[in-house]
Amino acid sequence: MKEPMSVEEVLKKLQETLGEALLSHEVREYTMGVKRKRTYRELWITIKPDAFRKTVEAIFALDYPHLHFIAGEDGGGETLTMIYSFGVFHTHPWGELSITIKFDLPKDNLVLPTITDLMIGAETNEREIREMLGVEFEGLKNKRHLFLPDDWPEGKYPWRRDEYGVEDMIKHTHRSVNEIRKMRGEE
Amino acid sequence: MAKTQYYVPVGPIHPALKEPIRVEAKVEGEKIVEVDVKRGFAHRGIEYMGMKRNAIQTLYLSERICGICSISHPYAFVVTAEKALGIEAPPRAQYIRTIIGELERIHSHILWLGVVAHEMGFDSLLFWTWKGRERLLDILELLTGNRINYSVFMIGGVRRDIKESHIKAIKDMISYYRTFNQEMKDVFLSDPVYKARTRGVAQLSKKMALELNAVGPVARAAGVRMDIRQDIPYDAYADIDVRAVVPQDIVGEARGDAYDITMVRLYEIDQSLDIIEYCIDELPEGKLMAIPNYVALLAKIRRTQGEAIGAHEAPRGEVIHYLKFDGKMDGPSVWKVIAPSYNNINTWAPLLLGAEVADIPIVVAYIDPCMCCNDRIAVVRDEDGRIIDPATLHRKAVEKTRKLREELGVRE
Repeated sequence: MKEPMSVEEVLKKLQETLGEALLSHEVREYTMGVKRKRTYRELWITIKPDAFRKTVEAIFALDYPHLHFIAGEDGGGETLTMIYSFGVFHTHPWGELSITIKFDLPKDNLVLPTITDLMIGAETNEREIREMLGVEFEGLKNKRHLFLPDDWPEGKYPWRRDEYGVEDMIKHTHRSVNEIRKMRGEE
Repeated sequence: MAKTQYYVPVGPIHPALKEPIRVEAKVEGEKIVEVDVKRGFAHRGIEYMGMKRNAIQTLYLSERICGICSISHPYAFVVTAEKALGIEAPPRAQYIRTIIGELERIHSHILWLGVVAHEMGFDSLLFWTWKGRERLLDILELLTGNRINYSVFMIGGVRRDIKESHIKAIKDMISYYRTFNQEMKDVFLSDPVYKARTRGVAQLSKKMALELNAVGPVARAAGVRMDIRQDIPYDAYADIDVRAVVPQDIVGEARGDAYDITMVRLYEIDQSLDIIEYCIDELPEGKLMAIPNYVALLAKIRRTQGEAIGAHEAPRGEVIHYLKFDGKMDGPSVWKVIAPSYNNINTWAPLLLGAEVADIPIVVAYIDPCMCCNDRIAVVRDEDGRIIDPATLHRKAVEKTRKLREELGVRE
């Protein structure tokens, strides 16, 4: 694993690679410890959605990262906020730097490139986001449901807070005993 | 002549799998040539439920994510919530949290040793290890009042103190486990059959561990020196220089198989005992909660806008939470939970390819999988298809008990 770099160095590299696509950045500081207080810092950046792949590649160029998670937030409006969190320089005491990428994805074009070609382990995260929020990942080979059943109705996404949300999904999840009896032709 | 391929479905309910998950294997003779893992048989939508409750309720909901390590998720939750809300827990509370977190690591590791022995057919080892684990559960009961779902953590502190009278019991426990762990090391690491059954099985290289995003003991056994307690320390871990336990430090090389993972877990028990001993000796004085009044705490949450990512090194690997408070609600507006098994199950398919059918239980057990950590709205319906609320469910239970009492002639 590579030697850790400071937050400023990492930020400078990302600024060089991304240019104007890097919309904003924030270095957050937290103090930890009781007897020996130390500060560790996190990098949070907001980018343009079309620079997403470039950003991830820039992070992979720093050090082979550890993918913390992929999350998405639907406030009910026109866009989804995607959150990707990576950890680089782990394996070093006090050295892990967490880089969080945030960007807004318009709901009429929920398409993102996959990162499974860089990291196979990201497949589970992408499959979960795909079924829960309806984001399509270009290049994702395995597109089967991860947590939801195979016969889940199309176009229903449990984490969405708009008309594609959970309102009428429950009746699809569990058929009542009466429905099952009716289907079997029993009284 | 072309070999006939057979399809062997294992699970979702199967003796080798403690919780529902399905391994679909295609075999040629004894060899597995194709494999697919299906999960999600018990998805409970806990994250969705958490976004509809206040933060304290969500904290205790997070305790129910995992059925065995009930402190892992609350630990990550409080660390994250404190970062997002700008609260610092008092020193004494931070030390108590670390003690409980480490006690849980020991009991979880011993439980795993028993399970993996059972999968191989060593049932006497299962009973011996689980008997040894009982003493730890007694200590946890003494400290928290419960043997599982301890309900002891709070945003900005803990709810129960470690009293002077508890300290002797904890010290006795530490000396008991030092001996017991040495015995376990002797049995597990030098038994020729255990060695033959685990050496080279479920072998994960360092490169694979990184690419598959493996975490915790699984990654460490493959030689990746990662541990949240070392990489981004928090609470009392920041005072102690915790170092990741990797096989290359113990025996000079990491092979990343089921034997190495046993070794990593056994040595981590020693490390946890050291951490508990340090925390007991250095336990700072002071209060237990930053904001002891729950109404004031909820009022602060309602006023605060903020988001944070926090992590805790659970016995099985890192647990990561993301929380966002929008400054309007008592609870989180977004809550994302990643459990260690979420990543570690990724290793099954590549490891099972080319393995033998008899190795399925070991490959499945070696990561210490926890499906309930992964599969997180249970909806209960009555015969007419109506959703039953908790009050009705409780009433129905009471009614049934009364009915049975009448039938059996038992008086109240």
